[in-house]
Amino acid sequence: MLKVLKLKRKQNIIGWGFILPATILIFIFYFYPIIRALLISFQSGVGINLSYAGLINYRRLFVDSLFKGSLSNVFIFLILQVPLMLFLALIIASLLNDHKLKFRGFFRIAIFLPCATSLVAYALIFRSIFALDGFANILLMNLNLISSPINWIGQPWTARILIVLALTWRWTGYNMIFYLAGLQNINPTIYEAAKIDGANAWTRFTKITIPLLKPIILLTTIMSTNGTLQIFDETQILTNGGPANATLSLSQYIYRLSFEYSPRFGYAAAISYVIFLLVAILAFIQMKVGDRR
Amino acid sequence: MSRIIRATKYLFLSVIAFLSLFPFFWMLNSATNSSVDILTGTLLPGNHLGENYQTLLANTNLIQALWNSFRNAVVATIASLIVCSIAGYGFEIYHDRVKDRLMVILLLSMMVPFAVIMIPLFMMIGKANLMNTTTAFILPTISTAFLIFLFRQSTRGFPSEIIEAARIEGMGELGIFIKMYMPIMRSTYAAAAVITFMSAWNSYLWPLIIMQKEASKTMPLLIANLISGYVIDYGVLMLAVTISILPTVIIFLILQKNFAEGIITSIK
Amino acid sequence: MKKGLTLLLIFVVVFLGFSPVTAEAEQEVTITVWCWDPSFNIYAMEEAAKIYAEIAPHVTIDVIEESDVEIKLTTMVNAGQTDALPDILLMQDNSLHKNIISYPDTFFDLTDSGIDFAQFADYKVALSVVNGRNYAVPFDNGTAINAIRTDVLQQAGYTLADFTDITWSEYLKIGKDVLDKTGKPLLSAIAESPGLLMTMLQSAGTWMFDPNGEVYIAENAVLKEIVEVYIELVKSGVLVQVNEWDQYISSFNRGTVAGTINGCWIIGSIVQQTDQKGKWGITNIPKLDRAPNATNYSNQGGSSWMVLASSAHPEVATDFLAHTFAGSVKLYETILPSSGALATYLPAGDSAVYNQPHEFFGGQAIYADITAFAAKVPQVSYGLYNYEARDALGNAITQIMAGADIDAALREAEESVKFLMW
Repeated sequence: MLKVLKLKRKQNIIGWGFILPATILIFIFYFYPIIRALLISFQSGVGINLSYAGLINYRRLFVDSLFKGSLSNVFIFLILQVPLMLFLALIIASLLNDHKLKFRGFFRIAIFLPCATSLVAYALIFRSIFALDGFANILLMNLNLISSPINWIGQPWTARILIVLALTWRWTGYNMIFYLAGLQNINPTIYEAAKIDGANAWTRFTKITIPLLKPIILLTTIMSTNGTLQIFDETQILTNGGPANATLSLSQYIYRLSFEYSPRFGYAAAISYVIFLLVAILAFIQMKVGDRR
Repeated sequence: MSRIIRATKYLFLSVIAFLSLFPFFWMLNSATNSSVDILTGTLLPGNHLGENYQTLLANTNLIQALWNSFRNAVVATIASLIVCSIAGYGFEIYHDRVKDRLMVILLLSMMVPFAVIMIPLFMMIGKANLMNTTTAFILPTISTAFLIFLFRQSTRGFPSEIIEAARIEGMGELGIFIKMYMPIMRSTYAAAAVITFMSAWNSYLWPLIIMQKEASKTMPLLIANLISGYVIDYGVLMLAVTISILPTVIIFLILQKNFAEGIITSIK
Repeated sequence: MKKGLTLLLIFVVVFLGFSPVTAEAEQEVTITVWCWDPSFNIYAMEEAAKIYAEIAPHVTIDVIEESDVEIKLTTMVNAGQTDALPDILLMQDNSLHKNIISYPDTFFDLTDSGIDFAQFADYKVALSVVNGRNYAVPFDNGTAINAIRTDVLQQAGYTLADFTDITWSEYLKIGKDVLDKTGKPLLSAIAESPGLLMTMLQSAGTWMFDPNGEVYIAENAVLKEIVEVYIELVKSGVLVQVNEWDQYISSFNRGTVAGTINGCWIIGSIVQQTDQKGKWGITNIPKLDRAPNATNYSNQGGSSWMVLASSAHPEVATDFLAHTFAGSVKLYETILPSSGALATYLPAGDSAVYNQPHEFFGGQAIYADITAFAAKVPQVSYGLYNYEARDALGNAITQIMAGADIDAALREAEESVKFLMW
């Protein structure tokens, strides 16, 4: 009994030894600056002319229409995009996990490529495809789905849909990689057994793949939630936050406040604490629901 | 019936693959065209590849930037795979309430936009006299909550019987990690390597701030320079972005067998 | 004893006092410069370095290519790490006031440096003056031009002269006629961008802020006139809206539109399309019909050189600028032909190089013309909140084009700028 306890104690110490280097690095290079930023968020002023202002920055958020607008924009992206992308990535990953499928290597690299492709290049292409006389409109008109061309980038909702499409296009292959890696840990004999029991592809997907991939699905959900709430690249390069701020994101607003507008780091920091809080709450809920052992 | 399903599968994957590849081909194609041809919307290969390449070499320090990016990304990837995988393993195998809570706290570190912590971070690097160094580049990227979390989650699928068996055989805890865990988890390591390499390779804001010397510039900075002028040469730009994504693609091609082919079956 | 002390003192003074001073004059000094664009600013800086090397051989100019100077500046100043900053940097004119005011004591005061600011276009100098002090040496020229395809005009029976010194209503009238006869609009503009509106504002000597720095959008009658002109341009089809920069460039490179109005730096993108050689001409921009101080001259973009107060040798950096960008016609003559880098240094306008005909523009001496325009650009103050106002105006015009009421949209823009000016 004592021996077991001693062993447990020893393992616990080794366990801490394993996690300590990484933990210390994160505390130094993330939490220390994060706390510094928290202190800045209680200061107000332009540039380096800062003074202590208590909660003024936080109170201001409630009456800031740009802040409220960008907050609702990122939530629209989040609700539409994350489920769509993750579901698509799961389907593709499980299709590509089929050993009998031909050209698997080709499909994998093809679907992965968008997240490696330069943002500059794909912004140019997306804009030309969704231009007024672009490919998307020509296709839709030839299919008789629309009667006159859609001004994709020029209208609030179509611009938002464009951002959702762009995000999905770019990040589906990225998430697919985690699923593919995760699928390797599932013993293929489980699938064989289920097949023999007469389970069809959909049942196998929902009853075997999804439950067994749960830890990885939780990971990708938290990462994508975080990524979408902090979205910057797509809204900056594709729509520049427009039309009329319909796609402005929180990170973009922070960027403008820091580097374009007369610099207000206190306020920018306050906004990022709101993102921080939101993602933390969502991640906490996701962990509660998805991290049961 | 099953044939129809099969055909649908291939059709679906082909459509996705086409949509994914199209911009890539467009980019390759544009690298062979002149700027005006690209802007006027050509889809045919041009004969400006050599000219674009000459311009790129003449106006930028391409080789130096490629090497800087490569060195930074490789060092960062190796360092963070080691540090984060051992931590992820530790968080899962030796898990208890305290460690589970700590994991959640570490996750919080990713949730503040980088632009906000950049200034305090820069102060630390400046005071430590690390400007323009690879060390400055990799220090904040070595340990990321994302990678730790990835390894923790992936370890869920790691058979605990292997650990028990190894312990009975008298193998040390670190030995189990190195000799048993690392080879079996090759798929996760490969996926993590691709992702980490890519993000280190593409990182922009941080190197922008800490790399002051012309000789320490990385590829994303070089590309940003190409689009900062009044006149953008899209042909040269597309050639540069094509070159800049090649390393990631090569790493992917080398490692993909590991994260996509049956590793588990091979260790049975 | 006393004598000995005096002698000793003399020795001390000579050896410790004087000799180091002379030694310092000969000491190697490196001046670091941050700027962007190799074919334009960097090239000009390197040529300036060559000129200065003959005057002060002990000074080395180290030019570093930086695409995001402002992000770096902001980070370093806020982190208190000014020793990481260069000696000289290039700054967008739009940001000059913002940075000078936001970061007091960061930039070296050039007022009494001996640089003769009277030799630059007035409006350009004013952009870097805060509280009567000069903080930048004007460089890159943003003088607005009206560049038009003369071959298209010919088809419709017009010449460049018909577009010179005209008003917007005349421009619209001819524009509609050209559109009818050739099917080509005269202009393209990025839908979200208020760039053209801002060019028009400055042409009438007004801005989105009044001289006291208060927002001046909702009650600005000139701005309202401008918005009406813009709506008319779009409605008549004389101006086509595009979504992004690349599409804007493409619209005249492809020849879908027959002209453009922008800062003169747009020439670099026009001449890329070699098929159109000899088919372009340049004139001044139309002026507003009703605005009281309307002119045919304006500005869009441009940048200036600043010396940092944290520099170890601000006097050397200033002296370098004084002998090159603020004193050497030769420099401007050198950089113009191979880069088209146009200056606002007025003495350069008289040089023979500036008066040389430009093949692409049918032999027109465009650089001399543009330098002459530059001298007439009305002076406005962009102020601390320039970018806030720009974005608000961009939103307003987007909403107006989508059908919103002009007054309401401008009122909203004014409110949103005021909100950001707390």
